[in-house]
Amino acid sequence: MDTLKNRWNKWNPVTILLSFFIIWFVFAFLVFPNVNTIYETFFGTGTFSLEPVEKLLRSDRAVQSVLNSILLAIILVFTVNIVGISLVLFTNYFDIKGASILKLSYFSTLVYGGVALNLGYKLVYGKNSPLTDFLTQINPNWDGNWFSGLFAVGFVMTFACTSNHMLFLSSALRNVDYQTIEAAKNLGASQITILKNVVLPTLKPTLFALTIITFLTGLSATSAPLVFGGKEFETITPMILTFANSSSSKDLATVLALVLGIVTIIVLTFMLRSEQKGNYISISKTKTTLVKQKINNKTVNILVHIIAYILFIIYTMPVLAIIIYSFTDAMAISSGFITWDSFTIDNYLLTFSSLEAVRPYLISLGYGFAGSFLVVAFCLLCAYLMKKYNNRLTRTLDFMLMIPWFLPSTLIAVGLTVTFNTNQWVVLNQVFTGTLWLLLIGYIIVNIPFTLRITKSTFFGINQEIEDAAKNLGANAFYTFIKVLLPIILPSIMGIYSLNFIGILPDYDLTVFLYHPLYEPLGITIMNATGNSASADTKALNLVYTVILVILNTMILTAVYGNLRFRKRKKV
Amino acid sequence: MMGKGMKYAILLTGLFVVLVLAACSNGSSANTDGTETANADSKSTETKNTDSETASETTNSEEKLIVYTNSNGDGRGEWIVEEAKNAGFNIEIVGAGGGDATNRLISEKANPVADVVFGLNHMFFEQLQAEEVLTPYEPAWASEIEEGINDPENYYHGLVKQALVLSYNPEFVNEADAPENYLDLANNEEFAGIYQARDDLGSATAKVIVASILAQFEDTNGELGISDEGWETIARYYENGVQIPEGEDYFTIFASGDAPIGTMISGELAAKQEQYGTEPAFLHPEVGTPQVVESIAIVDGTEQLELAQEFVDWYGSAEVQGAFAAEFNAMPANLEAQDQVTDFQKEIFADVKAQDIDWAFVTENIDAWVEKLELEIF
Repeated sequence: MDTLKNRWNKWNPVTILLSFFIIWFVFAFLVFPNVNTIYETFFGTGTFSLEPVEKLLRSDRAVQSVLNSILLAIILVFTVNIVGISLVLFTNYFDIKGASILKLSYFSTLVYGGVALNLGYKLVYGKNSPLTDFLTQINPNWDGNWFSGLFAVGFVMTFACTSNHMLFLSSALRNVDYQTIEAAKNLGASQITILKNVVLPTLKPTLFALTIITFLTGLSATSAPLVFGGKEFETITPMILTFANSSSSKDLATVLALVLGIVTIIVLTFMLRSEQKGNYISISKTKTTLVKQKINNKTVNILVHIIAYILFIIYTMPVLAIIIYSFTDAMAISSGFITWDSFTIDNYLLTFSSLEAVRPYLISLGYGFAGSFLVVAFCLLCAYLMKKYNNRLTRTLDFMLMIPWFLPSTLIAVGLTVTFNTNQWVVLNQVFTGTLWLLLIGYIIVNIPFTLRITKSTFFGINQEIEDAAKNLGANAFYTFIKVLLPIILPSIMGIYSLNFIGILPDYDLTVFLYHPLYEPLGITIMNATGNSASADTKALNLVYTVILVILNTMILTAVYGNLRFRKRKKV
Repeated sequence: MMGKGMKYAILLTGLFVVLVLAACSNGSSANTDGTETANADSKSTETKNTDSETASETTNSEEKLIVYTNSNGDGRGEWIVEEAKNAGFNIEIVGAGGGDATNRLISEKANPVADVVFGLNHMFFEQLQAEEVLTPYEPAWASEIEEGINDPENYYHGLVKQALVLSYNPEFVNEADAPENYLDLANNEEFAGIYQARDDLGSATAKVIVASILAQFEDTNGELGISDEGWETIARYYENGVQIPEGEDYFTIFASGDAPIGTMISGELAAKQEQYGTEPAFLHPEVGTPQVVESIAIVDGTEQLELAQEFVDWYGSAEVQGAFAAEFNAMPANLEAQDQVTDFQKEIFADVKAQDIDWAFVTENIDAWVEKLELEIF
């Protein structure tokens, strides 16, 4: 009976159809355009040439940058995991006073990122900041540029990259069966033992995924090294971006991107092996919700509180700085010195000079909504098939879907436009360049790797028994997926959905190549207002757009995520 | 026409299948959630539908010109659209930085979206011409342009002149201590740490400064056409200079005194001065000041060649360029438009002597120079 059913499942026409769809999509949009780019690099002149590789190896700066990127990635794996796990424990596991306020500040990295976030840290720790002024007053020998180099980059990125922990580790933690903790307690286990041997192992699949993501974030770090790295700590992505923009140096960009790709594949192979080996304790089947733990040891309790509130300050200050300085004039922003006269709302008036100004927001919201939805749906499908049929084909698929992670978006975009501006048999002879679709496809592609990693880890965290139980009760695969699996993973899925959404809103690098001329997205508007060619007060406008994005993102998060939790609470 | 309709039909069906599948899955996850998520999904299908409808509408209309430019910030884009409308042109502006616009045009070569491109400087236009993106056309006003600016083969024609003026901030640097030129900055230790050396070589401004320095060391036997002395000089120039931090602006660090010697861009000065209340003092090197010219050209393969030509004739005319100059403090390349130039601009250009740069030599080599700078010198 069981084998019969399995066999039937294996040849389920829907599965076959979907598999073909995935294979076609991956080939048409991930492999075809990008392999074109890579091929051009090495065979551009007609013969195979290693010249770009030699050029790069001769350059100390290039080699050092690659090493720096890898060093940063390794450091971040440790620091981000330590801070991230602490945040999640402080807000969801331990009984900390004022946890809801703490949570708010720990969540702040979700609503702003990239250059804006770095600007925030710069306003707090940078050369002209009140903090640095204070430090130089205490100690006149204090270097005004103290906040730079590896330390500064590591510091900023450690706290900037914990968003995923806050979202996905929290939801994994909430799924821990409280009865296992109770049982351990009854057996006389200490709090630290319970944490180490009961709670953390359950979080392993999620931590694996988060570690991969953190590593790759460090590897491809762009804005933090540009802002804080200075000459002594340069990383590879800024160099890739410079070369990718110059027509004759694209080969160098591709080679550097391939280096990142190879490191990514090595890390991924290693991680996937561990992921498959892992033997996980499953999530609760009986819905006993986690009860927050009061720390018994008084000194430890005080210490934990102090750390929690120091983190609170670290997380709050950059956001506060951005909001405050967005209401001041250009001079105050650059000098860091605020007087009563500095305050103005001109920056905001400039941004919303006409009703037309609202249009890009709507367009980007539309793209964010649709793009994020489709990428989540696609990755759910892939992850489900990967879990169900763990064979060579699905493992290859896993690697294929990681392609967008190591190619810079400029190259992906150029690959897409060059490939799809003529009739291509692979998409039934359609021309995509100059249509609305190209940008949508672009957004889907670049968000696949991250979405897939999280989706997969969520799927692997589900107990096989739950699925088996549903099947034994006669539910077919589709029904099981919808009725049993999806509700369990929904919080994480919604988390990815909103993160992708938030990421799409201000995107420039990819958008500028793919957008439809008549539909200008927000990223373009922001760049036009604040970029090089604009003469308006670019720094102030940057702050204003950041604040607007913070508000928008908060709205998206509360709409998608908050709502979900609210409903959950109602059910309890 | 049928092809277009079919295309959208196919795409929509594909999208619809995915949406429906996903909508089902969400909708039935829990009864209480159903209505909300389902609502949201139908909304997304709706947006898709309307989007594609309007898209096919606009691609059908024959009269709209798509114009790529990097010169649409600060309300310039709106002004141009409005003026064009009054003159009977229906144009749509696509804004992107010079490098990005160039890359986009090149990658769209096989099936161009744009009809006209303007605002990029001649280095980008040289690149576009080499990639065969442009089609030649001699506008009615071509003869009114200053000599030496238009492309001799008529691929592009000048609109606006920008002078990149080496300047110092008199609040922090005395007139007696001011440098003479870029080479002085590189060779004289006393300027170390107080002048700007822009390393954002993706930007046109930084490239022009590099060109201005290196072009003085042209040597056919040297590496990439530049003598050893030239490479040593530019290495020192970057070694001693201050780089503009990411997320900041050249004028910010100029005004704050972090790097009070730097290159001002003539077209941006008026607005910058007003914001920061800083008035730069200009330097006039003997070798001259590098000037870049923003030009206009027609994209090869446009389906509306005649309309594009009419637009170019109109936009580059003395009347329009003069009005633009008066409105946005620009320096038109069209001699007959120069009587409308603001006093402010006149003052900047009064003593500026254009540096004689062999642009053909520069465009041929600039990418290789940038590569060398990035890999070996920075």
